[in-house]
Amino acid sequence: MNWLKLISCLSLALLVIPVILLLYEGFGPLRDPIGYSYVVFRAIELTLISSAIAAALCVTIFTPLAYYFARNKNSLGEALSDIPASIPHPIIGVAILVIVSPLTPFGRFLLSVGINFFNTFLGLITALTIVSAPIYINSVHPFFQSMNIAHENYALGLGASKFRTFMSVVLPNSGRGILTASLIAMSRAMSEFGSISIVAYYVLQQPFYGVSPAPVLIFQYYTYYGLGPAVTASAVMILVSIVIMILLRLVKRSTKL
Amino acid sequence: MIVADVKKRLGDFSLDANVSDERFICLTGKNGSGKTTLLNLIGGILTPDDGHITLNSKEITNLSIERRQVSIITPDSCIPHLDVERHLVWGAKNKGLTIEHDYIAEIKTSLGINFDGKVRKLSLGMRERLALATSLISKPELILVDEALSNIDNHRDFVNAFRNLAAKAKIDVIFTTQYPEDSSQADHQYRLDSGRSTRLF
Repeated sequence: MNWLKLISCLSLALLVIPVILLLYEGFGPLRDPIGYSYVVFRAIELTLISSAIAAALCVTIFTPLAYYFARNKNSLGEALSDIPASIPHPIIGVAILVIVSPLTPFGRFLLSVGINFFNTFLGLITALTIVSAPIYINSVHPFFQSMNIAHENYALGLGASKFRTFMSVVLPNSGRGILTASLIAMSRAMSEFGSISIVAYYVLQQPFYGVSPAPVLIFQYYTYYGLGPAVTASAVMILVSIVIMILLRLVKRSTKL
Repeated sequence: MIVADVKKRLGDFSLDANVSDERFICLTGKNGSGKTTLLNLIGGILTPDDGHITLNSKEITNLSIERRQVSIITPDSCIPHLDVERHLVWGAKNKGLTIEHDYIAEIKTSLGINFDGKVRKLSLGMRERLALATSLISKPELILVDEALSNIDNHRDFVNAFRNLAAKAKIDVIFTTQYPEDSSQADHQYRLDSGRSTRLF
């Protein structure tokens, strides 16, 4: 008897069974047309696009930081980078609103040049990027740590600066690790609710005018309509998410990075 | 000329070594005797607890790796995603050096680099040849070779060719080896024993 396999299957079942039940209920006994209306698909579209952009921003902004942590022990820095993951996410939403509000000089400047974060696409991706950043950093950090430092030392010994070594030696050999971490960050962003319910409960900009992100919409349906529409919309969201994640992993597997 | 008089403690291991010579220097010793630690100190990967390192009369003890003009080569040294031709000139281009094609051709011929393609697809011996050639072309003042000759066939001829190329370019070399006969091709030999160095010749 392979006990490790048995325990692993039971652990996996704990995660999978609720999802399967939700799919069954959402497309079966509790199915409600509101749950698969045009509004729901627009919300899912907004969530997918904003999450993908947030993941791309995580890669662009936080990859150097993750590499720095991998090669320089900095416990304080690593602890600080974990803050967005360890505080209630509505706090992140509130913090964003305070920073960009007329209460701060920075906020007054932004508003003076017409940049608004509240109920905008910009506010949405900002919140998603911040909450996904710790997940991205903690996912790609071990990959950088596992990379053979001999390549970097060799490059440094050939006169390359640390920045050039990062750009020309580390990054070109990090595609797979970065892609995997970005998929994890995107998954995290797609499931975010707390911060975006404060910053961008709905987006008041074209082409998503009046559209709420999917997690917010599902919460609205639960609050206003009850279980049926919420469960159906959840089932639709789960199905789309599973398809997207499988497709992305197939792309990753077939990509020689 | 390299002058390294350094002390370093790593856990229970203590290094107290002195190397003061030039040209082709062989470093021998059993596993765990401190050869890699000494090379890492000279190369700037580790910082000595005490002591100093000078290279051609320039103090380099506290300089970062990229500013020491010291190239460090181990069996894993390479830039995997490059192809052979770009790899050969990568270091020289970093330093803004003018590369003479005749010089590159001479090095390729002498070190048996008659292959091409992506570096990550080369055998270990090919990568070691390429790493050594790339270092020579980048013209450092010192090349440290840590067990990076062990997978090269025609070993004796290769070491001889590498020695001649380094001497011609006035590059000092410190290399560690598992082959006792390599020391006969060196200008000087040091032996490390439990972190203590002895100059044999």
